[in-house]
Amino acid sequence: MSLFKWIDDRTGIAGLTKEALFERVPGGARWRYVWGSTLTFAIMVQFITGVFLWMAYSPSATSAWESVYYIQYEMSFGWLLRGIHHWTAQIMVILLVLHLVQVVIDCAYRAPREFNFWFGVLLLFLTLGISLTGYLLPWDQKGFWATRVATELMEATPAIGPELQRVVVGGSDYGHHTLTRFFALHAGVLPGALVLLIVVHIYLFRRHGITEAKPATRAGALYYWCGGAVISGTLTVVAFVFGWGEEKPWAPWVIALVFAAVVGRVAFLFRNGSDDDSARRPRRKDGMFWPDQILRDAIACFAVMAAVLFFVFWKGTELTPPANPAESYDAARPDWYFMSLFYMLKLPPFQGAVGLVLGAIIVPGILATLVFLMPLIGKHKVGHWINVVGLYLLIGGFVVLTALAFNYDARDEKYRQGVAAAHEEAARVKELIVENGGIPPEGALSLLYSDPKTQGPKLFAANCASCHPYGGHDGTGKALSDEPSAPDLEGVGGFDWIAGLLTLEHYQSERYFGNTAFKDGDMAEALEELELTEDDVRAAAAALASEGAPRVGAGTGDQAQIDTGFALMGEDELACTDCHKIKGEGGKKGPDLTGYMSRQWMIDFIGNPAHTRFYGDDNDRMPNFLDAEGPDGEVEAGKLDLERVGLIVDWLRGEWPGAGRAAAE
Amino acid sequence: MSEQGDQPAADDAGDDQATAADAGADKATAADAGVGDEQRREFMAKAASFAFGGIIVAIPAGAGLATLLSPLSAPGQKGLKRRLASVSDLPEDGTPVRYDVVSERKDAWTRYPKKAVGSVWLRRLPDGGVLAFNTSCPHLGCAVGYEKGIDKFSCPCHMSVFGLDGERLGESVSPRGMDSLEVDQEKLQDGEVWVTFMNFRTKIGDKVPV
Ligand code: FES
Repeated sequence: MSLFKWIDDRTGIAGLTKEALFERVPGGARWRYVWGSTLTFAIMVQFITGVFLWMAYSPSATSAWESVYYIQYEMSFGWLLRGIHHWTAQIMVILLVLHLVQVVIDCAYRAPREFNFWFGVLLLFLTLGISLTGYLLPWDQKGFWATRVATELMEATPAIGPELQRVVVGGSDYGHHTLTRFFALHAGVLPGALVLLIVVHIYLFRRHGITEAKPATRAGALYYWCGGAVISGTLTVVAFVFGWGEEKPWAPWVIALVFAAVVGRVAFLFRNGSDDDSARRPRRKDGMFWPDQILRDAIACFAVMAAVLFFVFWKGTELTPPANPAESYDAARPDWYFMSLFYMLKLPPFQGAVGLVLGAIIVPGILATLVFLMPLIGKHKVGHWINVVGLYLLIGGFVVLTALAFNYDARDEKYRQGVAAAHEEAARVKELIVENGGIPPEGALSLLYSDPKTQGPKLFAANCASCHPYGGHDGTGKALSDEPSAPDLEGVGGFDWIAGLLTLEHYQSERYFGNTAFKDGDMAEALEELELTEDDVRAAAAALASEGAPRVGAGTGDQAQIDTGFALMGEDELACTDCHKIKGEGGKKGPDLTGYMSRQWMIDFIGNPAHTRFYGDDNDRMPNFLDAEGPDGEVEAGKLDLERVGLIVDWLRGEWPGAGRAAAE
Repeated sequence: MSEQGDQPAADDAGDDQATAADAGADKATAADAGVGDEQRREFMAKAASFAFGGIIVAIPAGAGLATLLSPLSAPGQKGLKRRLASVSDLPEDGTPVRYDVVSERKDAWTRYPKKAVGSVWLRRLPDGGVLAFNTSCPHLGCAVGYEKGIDKFSCPCHMSVFGLDGERLGESVSPRGMDSLEVDQEKLQDGEVWVTFMNFRTKIGDKVPV
């Protein structure tokens, strides 16, 4: 003990601990007092997990997403660490609101505690600031686009808007310095300020002691139940008005039932409130902070941790694809607690430049000011009532707007597709990283950029789908905007596709050349004359398909059939070689079938279909996509470059990293 | 301010009386039992507080520590076998020449297709053999250089000196001679120098791979 005494003599630690623990709790320990402690706990968890995350995080545009990927998927227990940090941040917002509600209901802002209340409100805003800056740090599509929206809003600030935005973003563009700045704010400046304010907040709290909770009386309990009624009531209205029950018919009724139960409780309290004997009841015995209140606090914190872990395991912690400024993200949304504000800005009064300032700055500003003024308003009983009702209205409005926002999204086809696409891309980039054995130094985005499976459909939709369908859609799964006027290219060059082409009925159908000049061309005539049997078609298709091989997962077919096919197409039988070159021999009238639908053949074809090797003068409307020499000898610029044509071709041929593995499975 | 005012002492006294009265005739026994119960209850509360408090702190801290200590469970290095030179590239008189070992390297999440991972001194022997040393000093890992004037290897950091055969010379602080690396003898017959590159732990007398 002498060591302890030695330390105590020099630090006074014993007295400090005693003072901290042996605080008297007027009216005894209560569950209602736990909110402040749970918040302190949540902040502590964020500090612990944050520092460990910091040890693995790298803030730059080419390494932020990558390091988070590494934490999430490769570091042992990184997913748990990041999960706890992420979900605690979400739950913290709820705890903040609960703490605020409790303080307002119990009049804990009244003299002499006004300053403590103001510090608390500042803490609320600081916490939101930390959340906002943290949202960007993974540098994924979600965080990137949400932050873009937030900083664009900043630009609406009167007078200094554009400059403010520039400073925060770290330049005119989003990049390395946006991340380094946000990271310094998120992990340095704001938490530093937070700690300072918390110290003051807790010091003031200790100075004035706990405000004894009113709801020892029934009338006081009314406050809480009314709060519950407001939230469940608004949710019920929203649920019915927007037909949440379409998929789960019971859902609105369950919410309504909860609402009814709460209303019942309120009515009961109200009826029996008059014979409230609290004034005559002996006052509850005082308790001690340690261990009575601390035990309750610890159990509440335990519940918070349990909730966090529940979400970590149930929902996981999302990491959307790496930020891509070139590709808009239809699912760009802020974190859920900003959704109400986000939705509000969509409403008519907040449209236009003036409306934006009104919605993004003035209205939130007024509301924040009102919250700030609560201690002054609430000096007397009426003011207190105004505060409570005002706060409930605020929370009710928040709930309604948030519910409306999510409801809106649930019905928004574009949003849903955006979410689905993001999920798919996130899974794909993971696959690519595994295939590649790591992330290239340029960052993970470069993997997606050079991936045919990701880029092929997009390029196809942008460049080919105005004429060619792909399996009936535009390649990305969206409906075609124009009537198809050229062959459907799903499975192009494969056995089935060629076999279809060699059958007159299909050849002249919309799936192939039905909408082109070739519908009644030489090939159609030839097919009509030849009257191929099914076996002929199969053999010829196998032979032609083998020219484009090897392609992943398609197999080269049976060699005997291929040989038969080539023999069949020769001079002595079908005489395809009268018009087409096959294996380098034959006529020049139709497209050269040497290496038919191989990677190079397709690139050459797309590059310039009017080349003599392909359609020549017979070419029907298809432009040259690569630079090519026109009929008069001058170079006609193509719309694409070799790399992008290659991506389209590889995608059409089903060749991309990992395709072999997928086919084998 | 709480309307009940601040006279806890008076209230407490009242409460105690009430409790005692409730307990019935035998005041003394009831009070004793009350104290025992109270103590037990308080002990349980304290124990439970510690238990809950411990668990909730252990979870985030444990997850963090697990990630922090994850390098300990990462697999160690394997030797990298690389062709560095042809025998004919090396001076016949046995002067050492430095070669960089370039290799694909994975650094946490990044995969570098080509990155220098270290360097090697190569020296031709009169009998046609080749000696290879890792340039990293066994003392504290500085890069050992070749000093022309004295025709020896020397480390710039704490002045360890090594002979051309890698042996430690004089008062060198290095705990052992330079770390020799394996040279593929078969390939050497064909005039090619293939070296298995690896790093060793510093500061100890024995040559132990990292
Ligand atoms: S590091 Fe070489 S002598 Fe110390």
